[in-house]
Order: sequence, then C-alpha cells, then structure tokens
Amino acid sequence: MSTNISASHFSSHDGNGPLLELAGVRASYGPIEVLHGVDLVVPQGSVVALLGPNGAGKSTILKVCSGLLQPTAGEVRVAGRVINGATADQLARLGLCTIPEGKGVFPNLTVRENLWMATMAGVSLSDVEEIAYARFPRLGERRKQLAGTMSGGEQQMLSMARALSVNPALLLLDELSMGLAPLVVANLYEIVAQVSEEGVSILVSEQFARTVLGIAHYAAIVLHGNVTRVGTPAELEDELSAAYLGS
Amino acid sequence: MQQFVQYTILGLVLGGVYFIAASGLVVTYTTSGIFNFSQGAIAMLAAFTYWQLRWGWGWPAPIALLVVLGVLAPALGAVLYQVVMKNLRGTSEVTKIVVSVGVMLGFLALATWVWNPTASSPRNFQKFFGANAIVEIFGVRITWHEIISFVLALGIAAGIRFLFVRTRSGVAMRAVVDDPELLELNGGRPERLATISWAGGAFLAALAGILITPITGSSMSANALTLLVIDAFAAAMFGRLKSLPRTFVGAIVLGLTNYYVVAYFPSSWTWTSAFRQSIPMIMLFIILIILPQDRLRGTTVLRTRERFHMPTMRTAWIAALVLVVVMFSLQTIMQPSPMKTLAYGMTLAMIALSLVLLTGLAGEINLAALSFGAIGTIVVFHFGTTGSGLDARMTLWGIVLASLVCAVVGAVVALPALRLRGLYLALATMAFGVFVSKMVLSEGNPRRLFGRDFTIFPGGTLRIPRPKIGPVDFNSDKAFLTLVTVLFALLAIGLVAIRHSGYGRRLAAMKDSPAACATLGMSVVRLKLSVFMLSAAVAGLGGVLMSAQLGAVSAERFDIFLSLSLLMVTVVGGIGYASGALLAGLFLGCSLLAMTNTLTKLGADYASIQAIFAFMISAVTVLPATIGITMGKNPSGAVTDIVKGLNDIKQARPLMFTIIGFEVGIWLLTATDVLTNWNFVILTAINLLVVPPLGGAIMKKRAYAKAGVAPPTPAEFIGIDRAYTQLDLDEMESVLGFDALGVAAPVLHEGEPAHAPA
Amino acid sequence: MPLLETVGVKVRFGGNVALDDVSISIEPGSITGLIGPNGAGKTTLFNAITGLQSVSSGSVMLNGKDVTKFAPHKRARLGLARTFQRLELFTSLSVRDNIRVAGEIRNRWKSIGGGRMDATAEADRIIDLVGLRDVADREVGEIPTGNARVVELARALMIQPSLLLLDEPASGQTEDETEAFGKLLRKLAAEDGLGICLVEHDMDLVMNVCETIHVLEFGRIISSGSAEHVRTDPVVIDAYLGAPESVG
Ligand SMILES: Nc1ncnc2c1ncn2[C@@H]1O[C@H](COP(=O)(O)OP(=O)(O)OP(=O)(O)O)[C@@H](O)[C@H]1O
Ligand SMILES: Nc1ncnc2c1ncn2[C@@H]1O[C@H](COP(=O)(O)OP(=O)(O)OP(=O)(O)O)[C@@H](O)[C@H]1O
Ligand SMILES: [Mg+2]
Ligand SMILES: [Mg+2]
Repeated sequence: MSTNISASHFSSHDGNGPLLELAGVRASYGPIEVLHGVDLVVPQGSVVALLGPNGAGKSTILKVCSGLLQPTAGEVRVAGRVINGATADQLARLGLCTIPEGKGVFPNLTVRENLWMATMAGVSLSDVEEIAYARFPRLGERRKQLAGTMSGGEQQMLSMARALSVNPALLLLDELSMGLAPLVVANLYEIVAQVSEEGVSILVSEQFARTVLGIAHYAAIVLHGNVTRVGTPAELEDELSAAYLGS
Repeated sequence: MQQFVQYTILGLVLGGVYFIAASGLVVTYTTSGIFNFSQGAIAMLAAFTYWQLRWGWGWPAPIALLVVLGVLAPALGAVLYQVVMKNLRGTSEVTKIVVSVGVMLGFLALATWVWNPTASSPRNFQKFFGANAIVEIFGVRITWHEIISFVLALGIAAGIRFLFVRTRSGVAMRAVVDDPELLELNGGRPERLATISWAGGAFLAALAGILITPITGSSMSANALTLLVIDAFAAAMFGRLKSLPRTFVGAIVLGLTNYYVVAYFPSSWTWTSAFRQSIPMIMLFIILIILPQDRLRGTTVLRTRERFHMPTMRTAWIAALVLVVVMFSLQTIMQPSPMKTLAYGMTLAMIALSLVLLTGLAGEINLAALSFGAIGTIVVFHFGTTGSGLDARMTLWGIVLASLVCAVVGAVVALPALRLRGLYLALATMAFGVFVSKMVLSEGNPRRLFGRDFTIFPGGTLRIPRPKIGPVDFNSDKAFLTLVTVLFALLAIGLVAIRHSGYGRRLAAMKDSPAACATLGMSVVRLKLSVFMLSAAVAGLGGVLMSAQLGAVSAERFDIFLSLSLLMVTVVGGIGYASGALLAGLFLGCSLLAMTNTLTKLGADYASIQAIFAFMISAVTVLPATIGITMGKNPSGAVTDIVKGLNDIKQARPLMFTIIGFEVGIWLLTATDVLTNWNFVILTAINLLVVPPLGGAIMKKRAYAKAGVAPPTPAEFIGIDRAYTQLDLDEMESVLGFDALGVAAPVLHEGEPAHAPA
Repeated sequence: MPLLETVGVKVRFGGNVALDDVSISIEPGSITGLIGPNGAGKTTLFNAITGLQSVSSGSVMLNGKDVTKFAPHKRARLGLARTFQRLELFTSLSVRDNIRVAGEIRNRWKSIGGGRMDATAEADRIIDLVGLRDVADREVGEIPTGNARVVELARALMIQPSLLLLDEPASGQTEDETEAFGKLLRKLAAEDGLGICLVEHDMDLVMNVCETIHVLEFGRIISSGSAEHVRTDPVVIDAYLGAPESVG
C-alpha cells in the first residue's frame, strides 16, 4: 500500500486551490459499481452540499474520501496530494474528520470515553471536553452515561462534538439532520457555518435539501452514482425539484 | 481452626488462579465479542510446553517462563486472531462459539499427539522454587508458589482494570467491539488493538495454566487441564463477562467452596469427590438463575453473514426418498461391520438434527446434545426394555418415555437461562453436560433411595438392546439401519415442514427481534422453551438409538467433548439444513472412523513405514478441528456450496444422467460381486468428487458456445440506480444463458459477480 | 373511556429522571402527536406504555384496565401495537413474511373461536393498503429505510390493534412518501377507529394529521393542545421549534 502523504498536516496547504478534489472516481461494493466516475471539488474554506435521493451514492462518496472505501479508478486529492491507498486512520490523524451516518458513537463507552477516542487525532482530552460540553451542555451532564443508552438526538450531538473539537482541516458530514429536532438542526447548521468561516472545508451529505442550502456555498446533485450538476444553491433551485420528483 | 485457615488460604490461592483464567476470558470478550472456549486449551498447551522446556529439556525456570509467557503465548494469541478470529466479524453467536470450540479441540488433539498420554514415565510438574519452598503464616505452611499465584492475581486484577478504564489504548480496545470503522475514523488502528488484546488474553491463559497445574496436583492430562480452566467460566459469568471486581469475587468464592467441600463434607459421602469436581458447573447454573433478566431492548441486531435458503416441501420429500433408496441399495452390498458404522453415523445425524432445529431455526445453542442422549439411555435402560439376554428388546413405550423425560429435563435446564442472551443458555447446557458426566454417569454403585437400592449407571456400562415395535423386530443390522434411516428421513421432512409453518416463522422472528415479538403479543419465553424441549426430545431419541446401535455404552460415549465436536461438525455442514445434520453424523460417525481404520490397517500391512501412517492417524484426529476453524470464511456451511453444485448438475442434464448411470453401474457390479466393496467406495468417491467439476466446466463452455454471446459487462450497471426487477433478471438470464448454467437468479442479490467467465 | 391513559408516569435512570409525572390519554379514532427535543423522553414513554421499560411510579391504563405490572406481550394482547425508532425488523424473513408472521403470532393468542385470521390473506390486504406491493418479496434488509418503516407499520396493523404507537415513522422517508403516509394515518383513524400516537420531528406531518399535540421537554409535558395552539406557544417555540419561520 503506497501513499504519498508525508506526516505534515493538511491545513499547512496554502493558497486558495481546492482542498478536496475527486477526479473520475469509481467505487464499488464487491462486484457492483456504485460510483461511475465522480468529479467534485471542495474549495478551501467552503461548504459543499451533496444532494440526491435515497441510494444515489452520497454516503459512498464520503466513504471514499474518508479512506474507508478504496476507489477502483480515479484520484482523490487532498490539498493537492493524491491520497488513494491511505487508510482511514492515517487520514484521520492528518486532519480529516468524518461523522458517519446514524452511528457515530461507541454505544458501550461512556460519553467521556467517546470523547477520549476523538483525541487520537492529536488533541488533548481536556480541550475536547471543554469544547464539547460548551457546545452541548447536555453532554456535560451525562459524562458517565453509556452512549448507547442516550436518545437518538443526544447520540448525534456526541458524534458532532468530535467534529467541532478535533480542529480538522476537512470535515465530512453524513446526514447530519436525521432524527434531530428542528431547533437542533438549525443550531447545528449554524455551527457548521461558523466552523467553515474559521477556514475549515466541509463536505456534507443531506437528503433534505432545505436544511442545508441556507449555509452551503455550492451544492452538487448526485444521481445514480454520478455528480450530475454543480452550482450555487441559487443556480440549482430548478434542478432540485426535478431531481427529487423525477427519480 | 488451623485446618480452617489452611483451607481458606488454599481456597484463596485457587480462586486467584481461577481469576487469572477468567480475566483472560473477559479481556477477549470485551475486545472482540468472542467468548473464547479455547482459553482452557491455551492454558493446557502452555502448561505442557513449560513442562517440556523446564523438565523435559531441563531449561532453567526463568528462561522457560520467559519463552512460554513472553514469547510463545502472546504469539499464539496474535496468530489466532489474525488467522482465525478476525474472520468472525458479522457472524452469529453460534459460529463464534463453534470456531473457538474448533480451536479448543484442535489444540487438544495436538497436545495428545505431541505429548503421548500413555507415556511410560508420568510427567512431574513442580511448583516454583520446588514444593519445599515454604513459609509459615498464622502457623500454616504455605509454598512460595501459592503466594506468588495470589499476588499475581491481585496485580492482574488491578492492572487490567487500570488498562480498560484509565488508558486510552484500553478504552480503544473496548471500542473495537462496538465499531471498528468508527474507531478508524477517529484515527485508531482496530486491527492492531485487537491483535494485542488477543495476545494478552493468551498470556493470561498461559499464566493460569502454569500456575494451576501444580496447585491442583493433578497429573498432566490434556482433557482435565482444559476443563479445569473452563471452570473459570463460572467466575467470568458472575461478572457478566464485563465487571472485573465481580469476576474476582466469583473466582474467590469458587476457590473457597472447592476446599471447604474437601474439608467439611463427611468423608463417608462417596459422592464428595464427584461433587467437588462439579462445583464450578453447579455454581454457573446458580449464577444463571440469579442474574437479573436481560432487558428486551433494541439490540440493533445487524444482519449476520449466515444465509440459509429454504428447501421446498417437494425437495424435502425427494431428498428423503433418495436417502432411503441409497441406504437400502448400500445395505444389499455391505458387510455387517460397515453397516454398523453407518447406522452409528445415522443416529449421530439424528442427534445433530436436534441441533438444526434449535440453532438453525431458533438461534439458541445446546452444547451438550449427547448428555440428553445419556438421560434417554438411562431411562430406557431402567424402564424401557423387555426380555433378557439375547431376547432383550427395547419397547416403543421406552423410546417414547425417554424422549418425554428428555423434554422435561430440557425444560428444567433451559428455564433459568431463557430469560438471558443466547450465550448464557449455551453455557447452561454445558454446565448440565459436565454435571451429567461427573455426577450422573459416575453413579456405578447402588444407593439407597426411599428404602430401595437403585443404581443409575450400573457398572459404568449399560447394555441397551435394539427395539422391537409391535411385531417388527429391528434386531438385525439391516433392519436397524433401515429404521434409523427412515426415522431420520421423517424427522428431516418434519423439520422442513416446521420451517414452512407459522411455528417456523415465529421462531425466525423471535431469533431476529425478541422485543418486536413481545410487542406483537408473543410470549417469547414460552416459545423458546417449546423449541428447546422439542429439540431435547429429538436428541434423546437419537441418543437412545445410538446406544441401541452400540449395544453397550459407557460414560465416554456421552462426553462433553463429543457433544462439542458434533455441534461443530454440524455447523460446518450447515446448521440451517437437515442435510447439514446428515453430513455431520456421517462424517463424525463414519468417515473419521473409516479413515483411522484404513490407516491403521495400512500401517499394519506396511510395517516399515508404519510411523508415517501413525502420523497420518494423528493428523486425521485434528481434521475436524481444522475444518471448524475455517468456518469464519464460510459461515453458512458446506451444504450451501453443495446445493449450489447440485443445482448446476441438475440444470446440466447430460452430466446428471452420466453420474447417476455410472453410480448405478458400479452398484450393480458390486451387488454381483464383480467389484469389491472397497472398489465401490473409491469409484463412488471419484464419481461424486471429480466428475461434477470436470463435467461442469465442459458443460459451461458448451452453453456459451450455444448462446453465442461473449460474456457481457453492462449488466453490472443495472441495480445501481434502481433495484433489480424481475424483468432485469429475466433479461440477464436470457442474455447470459444462466439458465443453462443453473446459476440461480437470487445469487445476484448476494453480491456474486455478474461477470461470467469468458 | 379512553383507549390509553397514563397517570403520573415517572421513569428514572439512575439519577436522571427521563419521565416526570406524565399523564396523557388517547381516544379511539384520534391522532395524538408527541413532540419534543431530543432526549425529552418520547421513546421512553412508548417503552413504558408497551412494558419494555418499567416505571418508577404512576400507572398505565389500557381500556380502563391497570396494566402497569403487565409483561409486554400481555399488553399487546389488549390491543396495543407499536413501531420502533431503531428498526426492529425480522431480518431473516422477506417483507411479506415479516407481515404475515405478525398475524400468525396474533393467531396464537386470539381465542380459538372466530378470532383467528387467515394470516396470508390478511398480509396481502395490508400490503396493498400501505403500498408495499413493489417490495413485498424482497429481503427486508435490502429495502430503503423509508420502506422499512412502513413494514413496521404494516406488521403492527396485523395484530389488529385498537391503539398504535408510532416512533418517528417518517424519518428516512422522502417527502412524497411522507405525504402518502399522513393520508394513510388519517384513513386508519377515521375508518377503523384506531387511536394513534405519533412521535415525529417532521413538523409538516405532525401539524397536518394530529388533532392534539403534547410537547415533552426534560420528561415533562410543557404544552398540550391543537396544532395551532402548540405552533404558536412561545414555550414550545423556545424549547423545540425554533424561530417560527423555520416551521413549514
Ligand atoms: N455495504 C454495501 N454493500 C453493498 N451495497 C451497498 C453498500 N452500501 C451501499 N450500497 C449500495 O450503494 C448504493 C449507494 O448507496 P449510498 O449509501 O452511497 O447512498 P446514499 O446516497 O447515501 O443514500 P441515502 O440517502 O439512503 O443515505 C445504493 O444502491 C446501496 O444499496
Ligand atoms: N437505559 C437508559 N439508561 C440511562 N439513560 C437513559 C436510558 N434510556 C434513555 N435514557 C435517557 O432518557 C432520556 C430520554 O430518552 P428517549 O430515548 O426517550 O428520548 P426521545 O425523546 O425519544 O429522543 P429522540 O427524539 O432523540 O429519540 C435521554 O436523556 C436518555 O439519555
Ligand atoms: Mg447515505
Ligand atoms: Mg426517541
């Protein structure tokens, strides 16, 4: 497994080139190809939303970026470097943070132990705890509770807390809003917007376009394993309704 | 008083060693979700290896210890994880259990192979610093070995707890079980952590093995040593496989009880020694009763990797008929001795069928199927025979009674564990199995009960006659083989019928989500109980017939290791299928025996190279274990592959007719004494093993030539945007000519390549 | 008489109080909404009602009968059915068999005379009713989450309950599917007289179909009333809905 990543941090990349770039990426689960040549660019410091119906391949794109799934063709570049072949844990320690869909916590660890795991990306536990409890006071009250016994929404907060505290260069978020109360969703996206203002580049997948379009700089429509259209939210207004109704 | 202190100290020490063994179990369970049955076997191997280095080859103790504990044991654990356990992710509990049982049996076979148990000079295993390194505390003499053991136990307890709670790596090890992918996303290395924790688990097992061997003063027997550490299961269960402090308490109580029984039970009680040996299992049972109920909460049961498709009733009838016809044809050309072997295999298959019912359909586990056979046998012996001497026969009433009693005993065994998860029921049955072996089957002498003399298992051997039902006498080998074959066929059809019935679906539903079942109005405990009783009854029936086949049975026939082997081989065959049970029975009852017999005979014939054959015999005994170990790769069992192959053959008519014709031909030749039985066996093997793949390859080529298409690729794009519709499948089938190849359409859903070979 | 009444139900987990003095009641033929922030105790309330979670104090009445001490299956037999937020499907069975087996389970406890149903035929009927025809013969593990939630509903309907508890049935469904789902719920309530309790974060759905809505926060009911009342209640906006314009 060869990788041309040096130990340096992604964020050391300077200039305004794209932080994440996918070129002709194909990927499959076993024999079934799910991505058929995806091209996508996430400019430094911007929020890009992946939109599309059930099963379009949004989560798969994120998996490829995070290193959990190796592309069968094409290149994934982070800060200009090809990262094909790098494993998820290497990427995580280099400043990429992924919040997977639905199951972002270790159910048999306590809240605090879950946060402890986040420190493997190279931050200190006290920092992580401070940020997490400040953003989500609920977590602070429940440090010793097993994550698996928390409500669906509380678990989502816990997994989000990692994204906020490890100080990543690139953040990948999958279905952030699922199962969350409207107020929490609004808050979370506010936070996402803030984080991006601090210079973090963010790629976020959402089934419900409405929630994310308010803060996204660009949106990419994913259909049948291809990115069919990229543009600013305003440009995409029409396509969006077509994509959902027509699929 | 002096005596009390003495025994208390000894009990504490034994408890400490139990704890070390139990902590190894807890470590591997918390970090990989696998309850490691091979823990005891690793301890045993370590003890033997240490003996070899220390006394066999006379190495100094520190070096021997360093090599065993510092190098070999951790390496073994790491290799075990990398080669075997890693593949178990996403499999069901029974597969996990069976694989670690396979490892255990493999190590056992290995140890008896390397360290011949019948060696002339006994192996002498001494305490550290020798038996005379003694200090006096409170006027009691204690060896340094014992002090070291207890101190180590305390240290390990503190150490592991510290690791798992206070260090990030320890917490990360616990996180691996929950979600290795998420750990990777966090920046952790799950593979490395799991390997390390298995190395640690093996180290603890090895340490326990080396410490415990001289303490119990038992001679070095591989079986006994393995079981000794299995005693630690009770302690681990007391901590629910999680809590180390509770495990410690459990272990200490276990150790103390052990010595207090020795000290204070009247020596006139003849069963004291048997009782002492069963204490851990009795305690395990009590623990299961007092553990609070598992909450029926959503345990996001992910879909496990095992896949069993359901044969139709028609297939079941045809298969059953084929089985009976084949057996009948074989009978006509067979000599009595292989016929006996075959009948033995069929009775084992019947017992295996009880496992298919319980595990394949309901997802529960019984580790002591043969112990129910033992209960049935005892019942028949006492209440189910008529006549005496050569005229003795088993009665129908005896058979029915034996099955009923087994069902009731099954209920008693299972009831306490039914409220709990599957693993607990599995362990309850194992406790029961050990209890039966140690306390029931050892009852060779009369006891006075209610003023009457009664012997449960007189003389250690029971003579069990064959049955006579109504006017039909099944005493001859032929008649008996027919009986068991027909019975098996009927039970197998019944099993398929159950799978197709509402009862079968309810079992499947219960297996998948007890919580959902309860909220639909199902009494989960009652359903579980019913299927366990049914299964125990079948096991009892099979056991009774097995005893009748053997004629005289001793306690070894019902050994817990045999039960474990049978379960393992059934899972290897395919725990979801009656045919899996058939394979298991025949393999364990016939093939193994046939192989060893053949090799022994060859060895006798060619005395000059006898050593080679002796080696091969040993290798054969390791065989089942090695197969069991590979289960992780193909958890659905061999039958799944065989069925696929059969389908191929069925579609390729000419091939099928060739095979059947050839087989009938050699049968005729054998029946007319042109061929010997041996030639028949060899030719059959060739016919069944070599012809299908060869012929299949030829047929496949022809099919493509006929369809006149190059294997197309675009098919793979379908199913990405939308699911396969039946239309797509039809189209694909017609294009690819799958019809002719017999590749079943659903295969595409299972992620098999849609590419066809060029 | 209400189908369901909880009287001062309280549930604690160690030091945390997940439900505190919750009293609600549900009438036949009505749809009641239960909303509230994450961790408010909605799922816990369902668990307490169905018996998967024991209560520290208070009582649960079904049809006027106190069932607080009943096991889950006993309560189900009194006409109570539910779906799960974290799906609890029978993964080794097909969609059709998932639904059919529920009828077969029901047949075991429904008294012999007249109570039994033809589970196969009834399953077919329900499959058509909820619109699962297209996926009926697929493995339940393969279908999208949106469909899977409908399977849970269909399965619950098979035991012919009088009271149905739905835990986030629309999450994972597309907007079209959700709309159809709302229509179905109204139909069940109006035509079959089913009492329905709906937990959802999709406010469009809740506001559209529910006659009464209870809002939970920190285990307490902070507001109850019609959709209009709840939507404009400042307490609710503050705790749950957020700025009014974000509500559809
Ligand atoms: N582990 C897997 N094995 C096989 N196929 C998979 C696997 N995961 C996803 N797929 C398939 O890949 C395709 C794309 O899935 P993906 O999860 O990327 O979609 P998505 O756009 O994220 O959808 P959703 O909105 O439902 O999350 C789907 O058809 C899905 O069935
Ligand atoms: N077994 C348990 N042990 C400890 N606390 C628990 C347990 N189960 C639930 N809780 C706590 O009880 C509270 C209520 O949880 P519940 O699941 O009912 O929330 P909910 O309203 O359904 O939220 P959501 O909308 O996120 O699903 C939460 O704070 C949760 O952490
Ligand atoms: Mg997705
Ligand atoms: Mg909930």
